[in-house]
Amino acid sequence: MIFIIGIFVYLSFNNVLSKLRSIEIIDDVNIALLEMRKAEKNYFLYRDANALKELAKLGEERYEIIQVSKSYVVPILNKSGRKNYDRLLDILKEYLSLANNAIKTKEVPRDFEAKLRTMGQDLTSVSELLLKQERENVSRTINNNVLMLITSLGVILVIQLILWQYFFSLIIQELTVMERMIKMVSEGRFHEVAVKPILPHNEIEIAIKAISDMARKLEKREDDILQAGKLASLGVLISGVAHELGNPLNNISLMAQTYLSVYDMLGDEEKKNFMGDIYNQTERIRKIVENLLDFSRQKKQELQECDLKEIVRVSLSLVANHLKLAKVKQHVAIPENLPPVQVDASQIEQVLVNLFINAIQAMPEGGDLDVNGSYDPQSANLILEIRDTGIGIQKDYLPNIFDPFFTTKSTKGTGLGLSVSYGIIRQHHGDISVESEEGQGTRFIIKLPAMKK
Amino acid sequence: MDQTQEENMSPDKLRIMVLDDEPIVCKRLKPALEKLGYEVDTFTQSPEAMHQIQQTSYDIIITDLKMKEIDGMQFLTEAKKRHPGTEVIVITGFATMETAKQSFQKGVFDFIAKPFKLSEIQEVVNRAAAKIRGPAA
Repeated sequence: MIFIIGIFVYLSFNNVLSKLRSIEIIDDVNIALLEMRKAEKNYFLYRDANALKELAKLGEERYEIIQVSKSYVVPILNKSGRKNYDRLLDILKEYLSLANNAIKTKEVPRDFEAKLRTMGQDLTSVSELLLKQERENVSRTINNNVLMLITSLGVILVIQLILWQYFFSLIIQELTVMERMIKMVSEGRFHEVAVKPILPHNEIEIAIKAISDMARKLEKREDDILQAGKLASLGVLISGVAHELGNPLNNISLMAQTYLSVYDMLGDEEKKNFMGDIYNQTERIRKIVENLLDFSRQKKQELQECDLKEIVRVSLSLVANHLKLAKVKQHVAIPENLPPVQVDASQIEQVLVNLFINAIQAMPEGGDLDVNGSYDPQSANLILEIRDTGIGIQKDYLPNIFDPFFTTKSTKGTGLGLSVSYGIIRQHHGDISVESEEGQGTRFIIKLPAMKK
Repeated sequence: MDQTQEENMSPDKLRIMVLDDEPIVCKRLKPALEKLGYEVDTFTQSPEAMHQIQQTSYDIIITDLKMKEIDGMQFLTEAKKRHPGTEVIVITGFATMETAKQSFQKGVFDFIAKPFKLSEIQEVVNRAAAKIRGPAA
């Protein structure tokens, strides 16, 4: 761009330069013609043949000069300039022929003087006109050039601004992508960040790729943490399950012992009853073990249309024994007609089991566990509130309770339960928050987006 | 409930209360202990058992530790307070040393983990009975 303008400026200044030269020539012509007019004046003063001859001689010389200069000047002149130049030659030719004729015939026609003067005047006026035109031309060209330069500078400035804006918005755009990715990482939605590997073209894209790679690694690690968290809550569940298994086991043992000792005295119907009872107890064990196995299994996230009420029911059944042992009364209030959610049921169960275990552990003297469900049509969220009447959480602990490895239970806790729960809920595009009053109890609020129809 | 309130019972027969929210435990312990010559009342609901010990005393109480409503620890504390002479035998599936120690501190006679053998519980009950009769004899 600047190169083109440079060439343009060079050419137009070259043009101005040659025009100036042509002005110089025309100026010379003009002066020469004025000299000739001086001779003309002399003639009019003395009216002798010598003066006329002198005039004719000067005229011839001028004609010669103008003719020679023509090849030089004409290409530079514009159309009207060229016309005027030719006219100059024509008039001079006629002027000379008039003068020469007078010399030859030695006879001066009556109107000779007047004619000569008029033609002389024409000559000067045309040559002056030519000069004036050319001067104007030059100044116009210079003006045009200046205007052109200013305009092109403006244009360059505007183009630069537009380009700058464009690149700036490109950078902003990529930074926005980066910001969104970092936000997703912070929300634990690694899967979305780690989807498309890109071929980096610039520094920002290298950074984006690094974030994407990091998300992929974090996603893998998150699976491990998720499982570790599950195993941690499983450890707590196991103690309850052991007790829960103890009862049916004991029942079977007692039935079998009695059966063996009184076998001889039993009738067929009684024997059948004994076996029926034993079978029922093994069924009880099977269900407990099945629940536990189902909970502990490591699965890839599987989103399915689920009923939140059912998830709550299953989760409560997993901790039923704990509730019983800790004398915690459960109060579930979830309306029947809640919209479904698209979730991995086993993961949400893991969250709820975590929260229930925490609630139970916060109520060593027993208490109430409220589970309330509702639907907020404005945000299209299902809201699950889990409230206990336990010891509460110390105010300065509250901001940290979702941090990994943060625990208030010293060696008894892993600090994984709530951080894993937080990760799971964020992965489901939901939100989990906590409110607590020491000595009053704790309230967890889970928001999960309702399934779009 | 199948508790019996005999006014004219034999002075030799020791009275035993069995409290467990598993009906099968009650159902199986009752004949196993009656066979040894004890008089046995069984309860599956702890509030009912609590009500019962306000009315009458038992020589031996066999109770589960972890139950709905009133738990075993609370129940045996109350029973011991009312009748210090009552021997309490704890049975529970929640067999940890901590709960065991805790129950011993409350003056519990013995501690039996589920699942248990009928012979095991019979033996412990006999020992408790011997202790009760010992000083009197």
